[in-house]
Amino acid sequence: MSDELKPDELLDKVDHSPASGSWMDTTVQIRPGIFSYAAKPESLETLSAPNPRQWNPLDDDWKLPENWQEIIHNGIKERLEKFRTFKIFMDVCVRCGACADKCHFFLGTGDPLNMPVLRAELLRSVYRNDFTTAGKILSKIPGGEKLGGGRPMTVEVLKQWWYYFFQCTECRRCSVFCPYGIDTAEITIMGRELLNLLGLNIDWIATPVSNCYQTGNHLGIQPHAFKDMLDFFTEDIEEITGVNVEPQFNVKGADILFITPSGDVFADPGTYTCQGYMILFKYLKDKYDLNVTWSTYASEGGNFGFFTSHETMKRLNAKMYAEAKRLGVKWILGGECGHMWRVINQYMDTMNGPADFLEEPVNPITGTKFENAKSTKMVHITEFTADLIKHGKLELDKSRNSNRVMTFHDSCNPARGMGLLDEPRYCIQNVCDNFFEMPENTIREQTFCCGSGAGLNAGENIELRMAGALPRANAVKYVHDKFGVNTLGTICAIDRAALSTLCEYWVPEVEVYGVHELVGNALILPGEKKRETDLRMEPLPGMEDDDE
Amino acid sequence: MNINKSLEKNRKKIIDQWFEATIKSYPPETARVLGRIKNRFDNPVGSATQESLENVFDQLLKDLDPGKLEDALDPVIRIRAVQKFTASDAVGFVFELKEIVKNILENAPGEDFDRKVDQVALAAFNRFMKCRESIFLIKATESKKRIHRAFERAGLVTELKDEDLL
Ligand code: SF4
Ligand code: SF4
Repeated sequence: MSDELKPDELLDKVDHSPASGSWMDTTVQIRPGIFSYAAKPESLETLSAPNPRQWNPLDDDWKLPENWQEIIHNGIKERLEKFRTFKIFMDVCVRCGACADKCHFFLGTGDPLNMPVLRAELLRSVYRNDFTTAGKILSKIPGGEKLGGGRPMTVEVLKQWWYYFFQCTECRRCSVFCPYGIDTAEITIMGRELLNLLGLNIDWIATPVSNCYQTGNHLGIQPHAFKDMLDFFTEDIEEITGVNVEPQFNVKGADILFITPSGDVFADPGTYTCQGYMILFKYLKDKYDLNVTWSTYASEGGNFGFFTSHETMKRLNAKMYAEAKRLGVKWILGGECGHMWRVINQYMDTMNGPADFLEEPVNPITGTKFENAKSTKMVHITEFTADLIKHGKLELDKSRNSNRVMTFHDSCNPARGMGLLDEPRYCIQNVCDNFFEMPENTIREQTFCCGSGAGLNAGENIELRMAGALPRANAVKYVHDKFGVNTLGTICAIDRAALSTLCEYWVPEVEVYGVHELVGNALILPGEKKRETDLRMEPLPGMEDDDE
Repeated sequence: MNINKSLEKNRKKIIDQWFEATIKSYPPETARVLGRIKNRFDNPVGSATQESLENVFDQLLKDLDPGKLEDALDPVIRIRAVQKFTASDAVGFVFELKEIVKNILENAPGEDFDRKVDQVALAAFNRFMKCRESIFLIKATESKKRIHRAFERAGLVTELKDEDLL
């Protein structure tokens, strides 16, 4: 495969054939269906981000500040000094091409500029031109730039950056195959950060960031509506189970603070996963007197700041710790989210830590120490639940999920960003009998992205999303056809939304479930009545005819 | 030899050339990847294209059934409907078959065969339109379905009827 891809051939072909449209020829055609709308000025103003204005990517004039080239040059310089990985990634790529065919956006769109190596070259070519000696010398000879793979920063180059850095979900699949471990996701992160210096964000990121900064969650839902939603779930759960699982909010001195992405509270089908958490917490309260609190202030686990800049990510992340400190809990339990875990696992500790006012997380029910969360003080709920199951602390009725023929989608960030691979599978297999893996080159570390991560889950770029989703969908369709899989399990809020849409287009027979929705269905609450429906109010297996 | 027999005899050769012609609709760097990688999960576009062409070819040997034909075309068309193709470029690969068959078979395949290929093209166009419609529908209803529905169940907003979703 990739070893047959003679990258020099590949790149030579791309580089030096202007007739067929070399990528260095920088006229970029920004196509509706692929790009996301520009950030609204109000949303940039909230964060005092640079250059807030109305602009349209389809216009010639992007209303850039006059000295924009200088801003970019200095921006690159500053980041080369600050982030060692960035400097290394700029220097060490040998253009071996091993990553070229590993990106879901390349595989789905067929656009060569979505090959990770070329995505990175967009930025690397400017780096070579501006910051390497060879590049500087060559740039003085006519045609010399191309020889050294460098090129000067022009408006056209900038547009190419914008178009293609917002066609990368920062999923890191390419990095798994790179012999040097070059992480193109980090190059995209830098690229986006530089674009943000000129006010070139997309609205699907900027507005959630602004909302989160002001009200604590991406959708901008006020605390009372947050509570209303959970109250409503409480009513539904009582109807299904006969048990009142009323959650508690902002309780000082609770054992654990629970934070989940707001998508679980406000968007289907995440809402059912949320009900699963509520059932679990009620169970743990009744059986083991564990005291879990929700917060209407830290009402967002996700962090779209991560898709904007390091600084923005830090600002949004800080509220988790601030709230944990204010409430005086022992540690934080985090819900089923994707990028939230990459932020926590890779950045939180150095960004806002050390959180030495919190305790090193120990499961009070089993005594298990969560070693990997020792320093972040934040534990992933599937790890927590897997631990409870392993120690026989949960009473489960698998038969309630027996109509679910499952497969599991590894979300990029928990899988590649923190190595959480087996715990969700362990949970699923303990609450459901029918489980089939997708082919090995599409799961675990090699998992294919949903195609909508890193802030690209907008509506206007639906063609990009569906094309990027193809490699994932292709594997889902395979297990659907072969084993009759009807349910795609996942542990990410973006996935619950994005995979649902992906299935609607590619494999309409498959539904998307969060792992804790299945746990909520199976868990036997003390004092519950005979359940007739699952959390979606659909009849349980064997109860289908009871109405008639 | 009757036309179906000669088509069958040259099945592999025809499909191979048809496949080559079809992936030529992509930029050359992409076409190389699509043509080379054999694992269907590492190369979903190449393998879906191959699968569709084979199935369509087999349909051509029978009396054409428009429904089955569209199903056979679905994998390749569903993909092309979300890629950078105009409608005519998305289905244009079908017509390549006429030329390829003419060049490979010793005896000219005749008008009947050409008409069959035209029918395949029409079926491809139908399926393309259906895929585009489904994309527009998804685009129009996605966020309302996911977010509004949850609020609506909670009684926080008024109920939407199905037609309001559009
Ligand atoms: S990080 Fe993911 S989306 Fe970005 S270039 Fe690599 S494989 Fe593609
Ligand atoms: S990023 Fe890594 S895998 Fe890709 S071309 Fe460069 S060295 Fe090779």
